[in-house]
Amino acid sequence: MTLPLDAMLLQQLVNGLTLGSIYALIALGYTMVYGILEMINFAHGEIYMIGSYLCIIFLGIFTYFGLTQSHLLLSLFLVAILSAVTCAGYGIAMERIAYRPIRSAHRLSPLISALGVSIFLQNYVMLTQGSSDKVFPHVFPISSNSFGAFPITPIQLFIIVSAILLMAGLHFFVQKTSLGKAMRAVAQDKMMASLCGIPIDRVIVVTFVIGSMLAAMAGVMVSIYYGVTSFYIGYVAGMKAFTAAVIGGIGNIPGAMLGGILLGMIESLGAAYVSSEFKDGFAFIILIFILIFRPSGLLTKNA
Amino acid sequence: MMKKIIFIGLLFFCLNGCQKKVQEIVIGTAGPMTGDQSKLGGDVANGVRLAVDEWNEKGGINGVKIRLEIGDDQHDPKQAVSVANKMVNLGIAGMIGHFNSSASIPASSVYERAGIPMITPASTNPQLTNQGYQMVFRVCGRDDQQGKVAADFAVQAFQAKKLAILHDKTTYGQGLSEEFRKAVSEQSKAVEIVSFDGLTQGDKDFRGVLTALKGKNPDMIFFGGIFPEGGLISKQAKEVGLTAPIMGGDGIFDPKFIEIAGIAAEGSFVTFTPDPEKIPHAKGFFQKYKARHGEGLAPYAIYAYDATHILLKALAQAGGISVKGDKKKVSEIIRNMKYDGALGHIEFDTKGDVKASPYVVWTTKGGRFEEFWAPGQPMPTNASDVLMPATHDASS
Amino acid sequence: MQMLSSFKTILIGSLWCGLLVIPFMGVQGALLVAAVLVMGAIGYQTIFRQWALGRFSKMGLLLSGVYSRLRTPVLGRRFWGIGVVALLVVPIFLNNYYLDILTLALLYALLAVGLNITVGLTGLLDLGYAGFYGIGAYAYALLSTKWGLSFWLGVPFGAVIAASFGLLLGVITLRLRGDYLAIVTLGFVQIVYLVLNNWDSLTNGPNGILQIKQPEIGSFLLEQPIHFYYLALFFLIVALFVVYRIAYSQMGRAFCAIREDPIAAEAMGIDTTRMKILAFVLGAGVAGVAGVFFAAKYTFVSPESFTFFESVRILTMVVLGGMGSLFGAVLGAFLLTFLPEMLRGLDLYRMLIFGATLVLMMMVRPQGLLGTSHK
Repeated sequence: MTLPLDAMLLQQLVNGLTLGSIYALIALGYTMVYGILEMINFAHGEIYMIGSYLCIIFLGIFTYFGLTQSHLLLSLFLVAILSAVTCAGYGIAMERIAYRPIRSAHRLSPLISALGVSIFLQNYVMLTQGSSDKVFPHVFPISSNSFGAFPITPIQLFIIVSAILLMAGLHFFVQKTSLGKAMRAVAQDKMMASLCGIPIDRVIVVTFVIGSMLAAMAGVMVSIYYGVTSFYIGYVAGMKAFTAAVIGGIGNIPGAMLGGILLGMIESLGAAYVSSEFKDGFAFIILIFILIFRPSGLLTKNA
Repeated sequence: MMKKIIFIGLLFFCLNGCQKKVQEIVIGTAGPMTGDQSKLGGDVANGVRLAVDEWNEKGGINGVKIRLEIGDDQHDPKQAVSVANKMVNLGIAGMIGHFNSSASIPASSVYERAGIPMITPASTNPQLTNQGYQMVFRVCGRDDQQGKVAADFAVQAFQAKKLAILHDKTTYGQGLSEEFRKAVSEQSKAVEIVSFDGLTQGDKDFRGVLTALKGKNPDMIFFGGIFPEGGLISKQAKEVGLTAPIMGGDGIFDPKFIEIAGIAAEGSFVTFTPDPEKIPHAKGFFQKYKARHGEGLAPYAIYAYDATHILLKALAQAGGISVKGDKKKVSEIIRNMKYDGALGHIEFDTKGDVKASPYVVWTTKGGRFEEFWAPGQPMPTNASDVLMPATHDASS
Repeated sequence: MQMLSSFKTILIGSLWCGLLVIPFMGVQGALLVAAVLVMGAIGYQTIFRQWALGRFSKMGLLLSGVYSRLRTPVLGRRFWGIGVVALLVVPIFLNNYYLDILTLALLYALLAVGLNITVGLTGLLDLGYAGFYGIGAYAYALLSTKWGLSFWLGVPFGAVIAASFGLLLGVITLRLRGDYLAIVTLGFVQIVYLVLNNWDSLTNGPNGILQIKQPEIGSFLLEQPIHFYYLALFFLIVALFVVYRIAYSQMGRAFCAIREDPIAAEAMGIDTTRMKILAFVLGAGVAGVAGVFFAAKYTFVSPESFTFFESVRILTMVVLGGMGSLFGAVLGAFLLTFLPEMLRGLDLYRMLIFGATLVLMMMVRPQGLLGTSHK
């Protein structure tokens, strides 16, 4: 059966939106750390990778105890929480070990340290979990387009909705809570914020915790979505999420969301209608064009 | 303190030196042991190790034990050359490797110069054996042999009218896909190739390109590449609503392919050597491999296992440990060897390629690979649960 | 008291890490990790630290002492002389394995010295350096296999072609600052890789280009590892000389001024735009030469040698050695080439330890081995 063209385009847009939601969640971690520390946390993608592994590991345990069979949604929820908490722990450890001691050093030093963390974590996961791809327990039936004519799978819908909820939650946190306000203050002027009595160290830790949790959620979603993960996925995803953060204007939270979704769309449409071989290149070509006309990204005011 | 360190260092050095005095034959293997392709490198090492252990249990080569050196080239040409030089310095008598063509080609010149025979289990790039080297062999088939069988099946038995081809932009995947396309168009002008596109190895999302394929309505999707992408393509194709079966080469012949794709893998086709369980020489190998690694077949482990046996057999024929001065002899023996192993019958031509690779088509059924079709046969009739092109419209 | 609080930190930290690894290694593995961490950290705190701190600072002093002496005219000449003689004589006694690693180290040193112009001197974060390197390599590979261009003509050709891409990238990134520039350079190397991998009719795609001509002097073919060693040494010395002259010229000072404070530099009448582009062009030119050498040595190029990861590796060498220090770049290149080779015996743990070492090195000397701790 040949689909009408517009239905196919719609399906492509849904694919892109799903991918984009995942990129956006990772990009948020980049952008928040950059906003506060002016540092590219190259190891952030590895937290996402660890999140995706944790999801499969915890789900495996739950399946062993029979929880997924009886309460699928509840166990998914628990898996997400557990993965997010563990990843937050990894984020804190990373900040304490690799970044805090060299916070005052030259701005390229944390880059190397981040790279070290990234290589370390990849090999740690490879050594402990094996080098072959880790497969998600088959708890979902394979289903295609079960919403009548509208081409979206339940998993895609689940990912898009949860990503929107998470982003809304983050927005509320940053805008309305006192910790969120402290974060914004530190991002604007660290010295001034500390003079006002804002505990800088704690704010930085909170930033890492939130960023890592969002990355963990992205990891959980990607495991559910693809049904498989491997220890090297963090590197490419991290690079793309970083690109997304820059497209939106790095340091800018709504910008990261927009950038991520835009990137997912460009990739899906580009792979489908232009060439799948250049899938990884479209993002950068668009990025270069955007930066030529708006040198600080889409959503930042040019100083 | 410094003195102590030097002392300990010297001690180690001496111990090392002492160890080396024990008579042994060293052979090497190399491939990507760390990094994104480490599963593949590990499979090769497992296969080689199994073969070496078998020989050592029998008492080694003419009573001399065999030791295995494993090198990690991370599929990087530069590291491959340095691993090769290191192996030469260690005095290896032969090499099983490297894995990737991009590593084997630059490394081959090192082994050639040193006069050490190398048998690669996996590098399928035709250029490797086109360099005119005497020491280079491969036990894996060339892409053209496999592509031909796949095309025979797709056109004659399966009677596909529209084919979509995907590959993973690697030497192996793209090479195989191009040979498949060539063979298809030689077979029949009526078959339309609706798409020929590459994707990125290591990527996990292929929905974009698969959704686009849906509009072109292919009867079969041929994928040139390896199992992680193959499994995902198979799964995501079903998810976007494609009903055409997936066909691939030996790179997707791995239990992980079925594990990743789950139920979506059912009714896929794979070209591979005939069922090794039916080959008498292979029985022992499978039992031992399963006992050790439990994961069933890993295709490159089989290639590596046979390659190692060929090498060791040649070394034994050439006179074992005394052969060190005359390595040309070993390569001559390999070239003239007629070997029956887990892959079936192997013979080399003058370039170092295998003369014939007896590929057949397998299918996936009930979560297992099953031999399905051999060249020259009609489509098996007991294939009611395998999707035929005629049933497409009815089912979708 | 201080001792106590540091013990508390150790315990909490080790427990923390132990908890984190439970899902990956199981409870037993986690206990083991925590125990090893506690013992290691306590051992470090009580015994090793004093000793190590002394050593490290002494080592640092020694290194910087050596380095500052290197720069005084009389002694410096002697030191450089000894170094060069050693590099000339030692390889005669080495086997091909060590020669090959040394050559690789020299090649990376050449790249690091080139990248040092862009990153170290001018302070522009360039993540796309491997792109220029690849362009140089492919330029020679294509010219030599298609038109039989000789190596000695290939070197200037490769340099010019790579440099013109440097010019292009420099012009594109004119208006960008800081990390925006970094991401465009990242995109550049990614696009170069994709083009090399996908433009099958020109670059032969993932199969790469084979049988590239090796260099000839008269009718003497350079093909042995030792020949390439000396060739690499020659290129490195020339590059060091040229970059050294640049660094201490008016141009070099302008580069440094841009690094320290672009606005002040602009105010002083430095044409910062032109200078930035120039830095890109010069760096790219050196990468082009290195690429030509790479193609000629390995007689084979394929796209996977020129990925973003390769860029990062070269950048790591520059930062580890100490930003802006020429000698540091060379040292960084040697260290990072030898370290993974020395760790080869550790098999699978090799890259794990390599990653940890990078983090540790940054903790001990964040400004790099020979960097001056400014800013």
